[in-house]
Amino acid sequence: MDKKVFLITGVTGAIGGAIARKLDSLGATLILTGRDTKKVEIFIDKELTQSNHIVLKLDLEDIDSISKSIDDLLFHDIRIDGFVHASGVGEVRPLKMTTPKFIYKVMNINFTSFIEIIRCIVNSKFKNKKISIVGISAIGAFQGNSTKTAYCASKAAMNAAVRCLAIELGDKGIRINTVAPGATQSKMMDDILSLPGGEQTLDKIKERQFLGVCSPNDIADAIHFLLSDSSKMITGTCLAVDGGKLST
Amino acid sequence: MTQKEILNQIEDVLDVSIDSLSIEMELSSIDEYDSMAKLSLIVMCDDEFNKKLTAEQLNDFKTIGDIVVFLSA
Repeated sequence: MDKKVFLITGVTGAIGGAIARKLDSLGATLILTGRDTKKVEIFIDKELTQSNHIVLKLDLEDIDSISKSIDDLLFHDIRIDGFVHASGVGEVRPLKMTTPKFIYKVMNINFTSFIEIIRCIVNSKFKNKKISIVGISAIGAFQGNSTKTAYCASKAAMNAAVRCLAIELGDKGIRINTVAPGATQSKMMDDILSLPGGEQTLDKIKERQFLGVCSPNDIADAIHFLLSDSSKMITGTCLAVDGGKLST
Repeated sequence: MTQKEILNQIEDVLDVSIDSLSIEMELSSIDEYDSMAKLSLIVMCDDEFNKKLTAEQLNDFKTIGDIVVFLSA
């Protein structure tokens, strides 16, 4: 990973933070995005060892602003070797409150911005050679979850898009996959467990995810594998890191 | 927003007939007040009233009036 350049969204989250720390420790240069760049700068100061990382202001909810923000990277005259979309919202809502406005917000952050960033970086303006792209999907893309309609649909959309783009971009040396974490220690999980009915949710997780709750580093290890040449024959797929949840 | 309007919003979220709730009603006596309704209430507070309602605060509510007071504050 030494001297390689990776674009990562969502580094202030548990999984984004874990993969950023891992790649930083392996000598990679990171382009870290955030709507609030102050938070990203604090993350770099506190959590990373190298200082050559780039902070990119990127508002994933404002989907039309993404291409302009990505163009700002051209000033750095860099090659992008990989992209990890770790941003995501996991808000739960009963159907009654699942309004179009809410669905658009979830789809924009979890799915549409993922495709838009890929569209912008797969461009001859960047001196890319091979790129490996990894999106953070979810087990919810495969299994139903009450009150998580928008979230699960957005994660399933990522998996469907990855299959299509893998074929479309394969001859450009671009691989694209997703990782589907099971329940993982994170603010998103804490938020869900603190909601009404949370205790039953935890019982259900323990019953199905029989290897236990994942740590963010478990997910980062899988992302690292997909970014590296060790996975050079893998594209268009979704790797579940779910403590066995999908098998039950 | 008047007290009646707030009550009507809560009735909509709990999926009970309009004008069926009153402020002195105990939440534990309302069959529809289940975990799904509580979740909807949290979302409603955020969406319609711009107020963050935590699960802890929610558990402290005893009557419909407690919800109305929270939303009116």
